[in-house]
Amino acid sequence: MANLKELRGRIKSVSSIAQITGAMEMVASMKLRKVQAKAQNFSPYTAEIRHMIQRIATKVAGEEDVPLFTQREVKTVGFFLISSDRGLCGSYNSNLLQTLKRKVDELKAGGKQAKFWVYGRKGYTWLIRRGFEVERFFVEPALDKADFKSAKLVGEALVEAFTSGVCDELRLFSTRFLSMAKFVPTEQLFLPIRTIAVGDGAEQDNYALDFLIEPDASTVFNALMPRYLETVIFDAMLQSLTSEHASRRMAMKGATDAAGRMTKDLKKIYNRARQESITKELLDIIGGASAVS
Amino acid sequence: MSELLLRIVTPDRTIMDRMVSSVSFVGTDGRYGVLPHHAPLMTGIAQSGTAMITEIDGKQNEMFVTDGFAQVQHNTLTLVCEAGEFADEIDLERVKAAEVRAREQLAGLDKLSEDFLMAEGALRRALAREMIARRSGTGSMR
Repeated sequence: MANLKELRGRIKSVSSIAQITGAMEMVASMKLRKVQAKAQNFSPYTAEIRHMIQRIATKVAGEEDVPLFTQREVKTVGFFLISSDRGLCGSYNSNLLQTLKRKVDELKAGGKQAKFWVYGRKGYTWLIRRGFEVERFFVEPALDKADFKSAKLVGEALVEAFTSGVCDELRLFSTRFLSMAKFVPTEQLFLPIRTIAVGDGAEQDNYALDFLIEPDASTVFNALMPRYLETVIFDAMLQSLTSEHASRRMAMKGATDAAGRMTKDLKKIYNRARQESITKELLDIIGGASAVS
Repeated sequence: MSELLLRIVTPDRTIMDRMVSSVSFVGTDGRYGVLPHHAPLMTGIAQSGTAMITEIDGKQNEMFVTDGFAQVQHNTLTLVCEAGEFADEIDLERVKAAEVRAREQLAGLDKLSEDFLMAEGALRRALAREMIARRSGTGSMR
């Protein structure tokens, strides 16, 4: 009988877990929808800014010394890591952090130093536990509520770190959202700016390379530069956030499904045990009755 | 009749992506008028500017655009800016409140500080929004 009671308890707890994970799944998919819409609305902006900086970089390149273009001998590499604040989102954080760890180990082997700027509590605690020093941990505002202003804040901090020589190179570690079921940890060189050097593809993209600039190239460029950096950061934030929610949704869906299967199995076992005890009782009664008569 | 493609893109949304007959907007160093087949161009948009859009049917629409960049190529004018609103999207009460707030801030600040510039920018934006909203409200075009 004790067995039956135990089983009942387990069925109850498993199904209440399913309820919780089911609710979390719904919340995650709602948030996902919101963030995804935001990311979608933002992507034309990113594309335009990227396009502009590529166009104008052709005009500025070589013309003067832009500090953010300067390549130094790399001794210290700065990482800007975007992880999540909360757990229960499947392999989202661990994928990202594994990739980061490999990269850092590689750098260490090459005798270089690593410094960290972090968004998201999970990444922060992970780094601290492994004895890494975190230069700055961004908590305010939380990533969920992050807007363009917070990207500005981060951008300023990173540019400051680069120009003041705290690190000679800055990389962005975030998760790129490819589809509802695919998110890839990505590394992106942030500073010095190298990727926007005029690619050979520039002409094929049929940019009109011959154009007027008012008032002049360096003025526009200097105004555009910070905007570009912020945009890159904000884009990475949105992508990561979308991935986080999608990942959580998937994990929670898996948990809910598994809990459902488990309840079914447990119910089967429970019913079998119950049937057994009933049969036993019946046998007892029949045995008792036949002994009396 | 010739026309050009106008795109207005902000971080929150793409406000416009359609053919118009001409546009004039405030750049960092003065007002620009862009007609179809304008030469390729790149410039900044003023911190608190307005853009006057002449639609294909000749109607004029004024809107608020702020702090960004403009480029022209292939008969396309792209305004990439922080924010943009049509006159009828502007909430006059909120703008008023923002104006008052900015004025209060300005009064108490050192004229050389960065905060002063920020507050000044906020005031300019509020005034530009107010201007557009009022102008369209009375229905009078320039």
